[in-house]
Amino acid sequence: MIQKKICMLGTFAVGKTSLVRRFVESIYSDEYHTTVGVKIDKKVVQLDEQEVMLLLWDIQGEESVQDLRRSYLRGAAGYLLVADGTRRDTLYRTRAIQTVVQDTVALAPFLLLINKSDLTEAWSLEEREIEEMKDKGWQVIRTSAKTGVGVEEAFLTLAQKMLET
Amino acid sequence: MNDSNGQGVLDEAEARSTLSDEEGMAALRTLLLGPAEAQIAEVQARLADPKRQLEEVSYVLPAAIAVRSRRDDELTVALAPTVAAAVERSVRKDPQPLVDAIFPVMGPAIRKAIATALSGMVQSLNQSLIHSFSFKGLRWRLEALRTGKPFGEIVLLHTLVYRVEQGFLIHKETGLLLHQVSIAGTPKLDADMVSAMLTAIQDFVHDSFTSPQGDQLETLQVGELTVWVEQGPLAVLAGVIRGNAPQDLRAVFQETLERIHLQFGVALSEFKGDSAPFADAAPLLEDCLQSRSDAAQQPAASARKVTPFVVFVSMLLVALLVWGFFWLRDMRRWDAFVERLRSEPGIVITDAEKRGGKYWISGLRDPLARDPEMILQESKIDPTAVVSRWEPFHSLSPEFLLARAKSLLEPPNTVKLNVQDGALEAEGFALHQWVVETRRAVRLLPELGQFREEKLLDLSRIEDPLLLFELDRSELVPGQQDKLGLLVGNIERLQAQAQRLHMNVLLEISGHTDGSGTEVRNSTLSQERAQAISATLRVLLPVWSNITIRPVGSKKRLRDEVTEADRATNRSVTFKVVVTDAQ
Repeated sequence: MIQKKICMLGTFAVGKTSLVRRFVESIYSDEYHTTVGVKIDKKVVQLDEQEVMLLLWDIQGEESVQDLRRSYLRGAAGYLLVADGTRRDTLYRTRAIQTVVQDTVALAPFLLLINKSDLTEAWSLEEREIEEMKDKGWQVIRTSAKTGVGVEEAFLTLAQKMLET
Repeated sequence: MNDSNGQGVLDEAEARSTLSDEEGMAALRTLLLGPAEAQIAEVQARLADPKRQLEEVSYVLPAAIAVRSRRDDELTVALAPTVAAAVERSVRKDPQPLVDAIFPVMGPAIRKAIATALSGMVQSLNQSLIHSFSFKGLRWRLEALRTGKPFGEIVLLHTLVYRVEQGFLIHKETGLLLHQVSIAGTPKLDADMVSAMLTAIQDFVHDSFTSPQGDQLETLQVGELTVWVEQGPLAVLAGVIRGNAPQDLRAVFQETLERIHLQFGVALSEFKGDSAPFADAAPLLEDCLQSRSDAAQQPAASARKVTPFVVFVSMLLVALLVWGFFWLRDMRRWDAFVERLRSEPGIVITDAEKRGGKYWISGLRDPLARDPEMILQESKIDPTAVVSRWEPFHSLSPEFLLARAKSLLEPPNTVKLNVQDGALEAEGFALHQWVVETRRAVRLLPELGQFREEKLLDLSRIEDPLLLFELDRSELVPGQQDKLGLLVGNIERLQAQAQRLHMNVLLEISGHTDGSGTEVRNSTLSQERAQAISATLRVLLPVWSNITIRPVGSKKRLRDEVTEADRATNRSVTFKVVVTDAQ
């Protein structure tokens, strides 16, 4: 079976862990985040009659991009950048994070997930801002860890992209 | 013009000189490099000709293989897959050549395998028997009962020095699992996630405790488990170990990792997430799954299961014990019997052994000794199991000499016989005839040789002498006093011997007369004569009281009276010793 390492990246409290939990059954507790700074989960997905095992490295969100542990990124076949739709700053932080990640894994495909899409009232992003990201060539998917909207699609899309590269 | 001419000449000269320079260089080159050029051309030709290359390589190949094999075993490692593939292809094409080749070694190999398996079984049986009933075994069983763990696990925990339970081969860059091996019975882990987490932890440690050499995490301790991590350029080998592994095992891990790099170098560097090719690394990884148990503590892991074999052997053991008990008892009885016979007088054992389920005993036996059959009955040994053979012989021990002398000489009860220093000694008193016969008989018995009769009184000394009297008177004729003196002496000896033998002896004095005179007178006279001697003896032997007198008169004459000497003999008294009874 093909195995792929995926990193979940994003600022503190954007919902990375919730997205992973929505997608897989976890065996490790969330305490790993505070001790080691990463939590690992596994999910086998079916893509065109091919099984792919995804190893999800859910990396703890740091306040500053400089604090990101680059060694955790090594060998990643793809990554998900996660932003919080109710906090505008988190979207712009993803740009900084992507710059750092590209230094380590230049060719790995990635997606931008704008999470908490269920919280429409608190939504603080304008469509224009999202379009700007798309113009840069980023693929964007709106997700909700709470309702599950877009979660499966996000992981499967990334997996598909990884197989194509 | 001149100038221009001059210029033209100069140019020409320059051109000539340039030309001659080139020619000179060419000449110089030919001169200097001529032979080398030929060699270079030769080398180029050789390099361009594959046929020649083949020949040259074939020339050095065997030696090269030998040199490399001496240095290390990388050639073996590198060739192994090719050789395996070649054998596989050959077998698929036609198995017969391989069958023919291995046929001669098949038999011995199978025999060896069976012998090894059997010896292992016996070994484990021994251990089962040793530890099943030991105190330690019982303690461990109690512990198993208390903790609810299987007995086997308790035993393992107590005896295990170390055991590598799992081995992970991890792709260094991605942290993805390439292959995993584990020994049977270990709990199943999610190896993919363990690999990733292990990589993350290593990264974390590496980042947190930065060292100039870029040192890596080598050991993790988790309760009773230790994780050893061996780093390679492209892959990481992690071993999960229970117990305390020796440092030598590190070398095994390193060697394994080196071999994996050698064999899978390309696959590792081109890894894109497909771990299938690394399944071939399983045998290499399995080399790392080593373990060692403490031999001294080696327990009864199989004791938990009572197999029919164990039952059979146990029964055999019990039967052996019972048989051994009876065998030992019989042996002791036999030894006691032989010892008893040895101490028995008149019996000499020359041979005693157990052979063919029977006891064999042979030796010499004096006919006067105790019957061995009687002793055998007392010993409780089955008489039918004993075969005995006795040769008769004469024992020279004093008691047998004496017993034989007694049966031969039939001594009267007034005689006590002894054997002292090889001589027969008689004590007491006896009739003259017995004394004479005994003297003669002893001379014929070589083992006795000598007859000592200092303490023996010949009764003829008392019963033979006649005390003679005057005619028609009860007075001794002159000259009889000496005889009387001797007689008294002998009677005193008789008295002493009788006392020693606790016997009562009576001295009977008979009075005699000659045929002259009347019968009445003779009767009176004979009485007077006996009384006279009796009175004298009572005076001379005051303690002697047992004297009777017997007046015989002239009716029973000692001699027919033809001459005066006959008549004188009849005028006498005679003595007789009578043993009345034991005291």
